[in-house]
This record gives sequence, structure tokens and C-alpha cells, in this order.
Amino acid sequence: MPGMLPSNLDPTPWLPLTESATSTDVSRALHATQPGEAEFATLLAPAAGAQLEALAIRASELTRRHFGQTLTLYIPLYLSDYCSGGCVYCGFAADRPQSRRRLERDEMMREMDAIKAMGFEEVLLLTGERTPQADLDYLRDAVGEAARRFSAVTIEAFPMAAEEYRMLADAGAIGVTIYQETYEPVQYEQMHRWGPKRDYENRLGAPARVLEGGMRTVGMGTLLGLSDPRFDSLCLYRHAMQLRRRYWQSGVSLSFPRVCPQEGGYSPPFPVDDRTLAQIIFAFRICMPDVPLVLSTREAPGFRDGMAGVGINKMSIASRTTVGGYQVPAESPDGQFHVNDDRDIETFCAMLKGKGLEPVFKNWDKVYR
Amino acid sequence: MKKFILGGKEFESRLIMGTGKFSSVEVMLEAIKASGAELVTVALRRFNRERPSDDLLGPLARLGITLVPNTSGARNAAEAVRAAQLGRELSGSPFVKVEIHPNPHHLMPDPIETYEACRELAKDGFIVLPYMPADPVLAKRLEDVGCAAVMPLGSAIGTGHGLSTAEMVKLIIADSGIPVIVDAGLRAPSEAAAAMEMGCSAVLVNSAIAAAGNPSAMAAAFAAAVKAGYAAREAGLMSRCDHAVATSPLTSFLTGA
Amino acid sequence: MNIMVNGNPQDFKGTPTLGQLLKELDIVPERVAVMVNDRIIPKAGRSEFGLNEGDRIEVLTFIGGG
Repeated sequence: MPGMLPSNLDPTPWLPLTESATSTDVSRALHATQPGEAEFATLLAPAAGAQLEALAIRASELTRRHFGQTLTLYIPLYLSDYCSGGCVYCGFAADRPQSRRRLERDEMMREMDAIKAMGFEEVLLLTGERTPQADLDYLRDAVGEAARRFSAVTIEAFPMAAEEYRMLADAGAIGVTIYQETYEPVQYEQMHRWGPKRDYENRLGAPARVLEGGMRTVGMGTLLGLSDPRFDSLCLYRHAMQLRRRYWQSGVSLSFPRVCPQEGGYSPPFPVDDRTLAQIIFAFRICMPDVPLVLSTREAPGFRDGMAGVGINKMSIASRTTVGGYQVPAESPDGQFHVNDDRDIETFCAMLKGKGLEPVFKNWDKVYR
Repeated sequence: MKKFILGGKEFESRLIMGTGKFSSVEVMLEAIKASGAELVTVALRRFNRERPSDDLLGPLARLGITLVPNTSGARNAAEAVRAAQLGRELSGSPFVKVEIHPNPHHLMPDPIETYEACRELAKDGFIVLPYMPADPVLAKRLEDVGCAAVMPLGSAIGTGHGLSTAEMVKLIIADSGIPVIVDAGLRAPSEAAAAMEMGCSAVLVNSAIAAAGNPSAMAAAFAAAVKAGYAAREAGLMSRCDHAVATSPLTSFLTGA
Repeated sequence: MNIMVNGNPQDFKGTPTLGQLLKELDIVPERVAVMVNDRIIPKAGRSEFGLNEGDRIEVLTFIGGG
């Protein structure tokens, strides 16, 4: 049985606008003083796609207003590729034949030291679904090690209970990223063939539990390509807005991972092209001007350079999507996904500076904790 | 017009009226009728044998409207809670407007005592409507403790300075999960319309009607303005900045741009 | 018996109940809220509510307010 999309996230009333909105509607939505679902849906419409430059101008104005001429940088560290999940699109799915490993404590420490030496102050720690090899205790130890070195430690792992999130927050984590992948329940069920991740509702409730557990931020997103991107984006918009209202002392950030159609192995049923992805990002920026919008190295340099400061205000760089790989290169180059932007930090920062953007490694210090 | 839902109860009118400062009970009753208000605020005072006509309970009950007793006169949370309980006992209404303004010169609400009183009263089952400074953080704190709405001031009580807190009220509306009602300071119906266009769920007006040359005519004018402002909001206002875009410097990196 | 009513000391014959006292003051009981020594006495409980020497009674009504 597929899960149920709750009515508070249901985008049905606004979906028609993503088709029928006119260019006049788009102009109005672009400069709405208090944009809502209708404006967001309007900005996803073909009529808005035809005015992409106008969207980009507005998005870049708002990005500059809220984040200045800066771009925040972070780096992912994959701790383990053990996984109990069967996600059809994922390089770490349990039925993939590769050998599995996890970083032991001494390796973990060396990897973190290597990342620190690169200059990073924000690290995202990743695992797969819950396994005996990478469970809560393992993650908590890793958070503790990371918190001794970095000013911002965030986690992307499996959905947890609020008390579990609280344990990780107490260990020094400030945020959790958890993507719904798709809000469309039938598509969700087909994509997640077995394992705990089949539980749509459990995953849907995780962002609220993250904030309930005392984390400062929750990162949300959908994996673009799995389902109708307009449907998923509207659900994500509603979900993020509601969490913001309810957990008003916490922050939400949004990411835009996309299954790149050119990747071997898996062809997404709803491929999202560059223009559509840019349009979605601009729509989020215009309707949620103060929310951090994040783009990873899944995207190619040309796209990332074009989006930097124009909607996007946070990026990863120099990423490895293999377990570890910073201190010594991984034996197998196959990671969770293909890194399309493999520039080093110096090259990337030079690009940012050339665009008048200041790279920010450290945004936050836990002085009062 | 969509029904106005407050504390789980439905209302047609989005104009809430105060009953103070009228020249007579008759003038006040005429103004309430002209306003179409279904919620009106009242205050508690010691019974005065010499002025039995001051008692509003009978005349207001005959209008078939919902009373919202206020806590005026209370200088702290404990006094406000007591006033609210007395108001509920007398009116039978679960609504209470919490107002605690200890400084008699400007009557600005005390945010700390207001918060404490609201927390107690919401726990006790009241439909709590706090009169408050236009502070977006306080608004969320009051929502968190169970208030049914927040009522930020437009400007100081009785001053008629209009929506001087407009920017703060916009921030409150943007984040609020409960109705936002501008209370105090409005002078002209156009200001009430502006508050509704901004996204307020209702407005509360007293002095502007009571002190008008013709109170019942002014009450009708406010009613029309509130309706117009709400309708305009629902209709979707045109954007202010609507410049044309010629070239594509920001999107030229996109294939097919 | 001496009782404070709205801050004024008043003498009453015998030992009246609250209900009797309100009647003596020509007060319509449904139109007022009453506190005795800071305790709210609901309408239903007033007729049997016994008073004691020195009790402080507050009788309140609704007036105009914003």
C-alpha cells in the first residue's frame, strides 16, 4: 500500500496554475510583497519559463539582499556505504554488488583532519539507511569527533525519532538533511523497493522530528527526476513553509539534487533539464527569500557558476561521494552519485571571486552552547 | 467574503468593535448595528449604584452579539487572569482580550505580563486575544502558548496615528499560523482597508468610531472599508514594480537560453 | 455585621447570605460578577453563600471598553 500525502501538503488546488498562469500573473508573482502557494505555482508555469531572465533578476536581487555578496561552502564526508535500502536510483542500494565499508574511528579522525586542513568549517556527515554497522551510536561518535574540529556539523542519514535527533544535537550536530525524494506516494513506493525507506510517512515526519529534537536547521529537498517536479516542488514549498511557522526558532534550507539523465545505470522517469531546474530554484528564492538554497557537486561547473549568487547561496565543493577519500583516495571511484564538478577549492574560490562573491567557510560559532 | 474563524467559531464580519468612549449607550448600540460587528469588547468595573445605566450587559445581550471582555485595569498577569475569570463568569463567553498596560501615559502593552497571562488563560480554556506590541517574536511566543489570534497595535491606543507599525505587522502576518488582528490606533477607514490588504484577518476599532462626528455613519464606513480591503487581498493586488527585461545576462549559461 | 462592598464599609442586619445582600443593594444578580475575599462566587452559588464579619465583597458589571 502506498503512503498518503496529508492534506496540509496537498498541492492540488494550485497545480492548475503551473500550467495556466499567464505572463501577467508571472509579473505579479515576481514582485508580490507576500508570496504564497499561488505565486509559487505561477512561477513554475511555462509562462514563467518564458521569462526566465526576469525570474533570475528578481532571484539575484533577493539573494543579494538576504545573503550579501557571499556564498557559503561545505563538504560532505561519507562515513559508511552499508545500506539496508533498495532505492532504484542510488549507488549505495543494498543490491549493488560493490564491497561495503565504514570509516573506523582512527580513519574518521584522519579524514576529518584532512578536510579541516583544506579549510572547511562545515561538514556534512552521511550514511545510508540504518544498519548494525552504521547505527545511531556510530553516528553519535562521528558527530562528537567532528564537533571537536568543525564549527558546523550536519548529518544526512536515516529518519530517526525526535529523541535520537536530540542525542545527536547534544553530541554537537547543528542540522540534519533529509530529503523526501518524492512526495508522490505511488512513485515513492516504486522507487523504494524494500527496506525501512519504504515507509513514506515515517520519512515525511522526519523534518518535524529533527526540529522537535532541538536541531537548529533542517535541510529538505526532493530528488528531481523521480516524479513531476512541479508537484514535488509545490509539496516541498508547503512543507517547508509550515515547518518554518511551527518551528519558528529554527531554520529550513533547501537543496535541489537531480538525477542527471546522462548518468549510467538509471534513467529517471521525469528528467529535469537545466532551464527547468533553474526555474524551480528561482521560484523558491522569490517565494522564500531568506532561506538558504543549496547546490551540490552533482551539477556541472557551468550550471553551478551560473547559479552562484543568482538564487543559490550555499554549495559543496571538492566533494568525494565515496566512503572517506580525502586523506587517501578511495580504492573504488564509484560513489553514491557522480561528481560533475571536480574542481578543487582554489579553482572554485577563484571563480567565485571573479563573480564578486566572497566564499564563506564559517558562518557560525557554538560559543554559547 | 470567506467566514472569519476565530477560536473555532465562525463570523461573517471582520470588524471587531470596542464599546468605550461613546456619548451614550444609545449611540453605541446604533454604531454597533451599523458596523455589523459580531464581536464587541467590554470592560469590567465596580458596580455603581448611582449610574445603573452604565451596565451594558442587558443592552448588548439583546443585540445577539458575542462579548469579548477585556482585562483593562489589570497591571500585571495575576490581575489580568482574575479579570478574565470574572469576565467569563459574567458574560458566559470564552473570549477574552488580554490587555495589560501599566503605563498610564501611553498605554503601551507590557509584553512580559501579557505573555504570562495568555499562557495561564489558554491553559484554562479561554479563547485568548492578546493586545500586544507589534513584535514578530512575541507574536510567535503568544501563538506557541495557545492564543487564538494576536492583536498587534497599529499605533498607541486612542492616538489615531494609523498603521505606524506596518512593517512589523507584515512580518507578523508572514509568519503567523493564527489570525492577526490590528487593534488600536486606527483613525480612518482607509487605514483599516490597508490593514486588510496587508493580510490581517480582522481589525478592532473603537475610538475612531466613538469619537467620530457621526459614530454610526463612521461605523458603516469602517465596515465597508474592511470588506473592501479583504476583497482586494483575496483578488490579488497588482505588483508595484513591473519593469521590462531586455537582455539575458543572468541566464545565458543555460542551454537553449 | 460589617462588610466591605466595593471598598466601602457597610452595616447589614443579622447574618445575610450573599444572595440576600445583593437583593438588599437592589442589584440584579444576573448582571454582576461577584468576588468575596478575592474568590469568584458563581451565580448559582450565591443564594446559599454565607458571609462573615469583615468580608470584602467586589461587585462588578460590564461597561464600555475597547
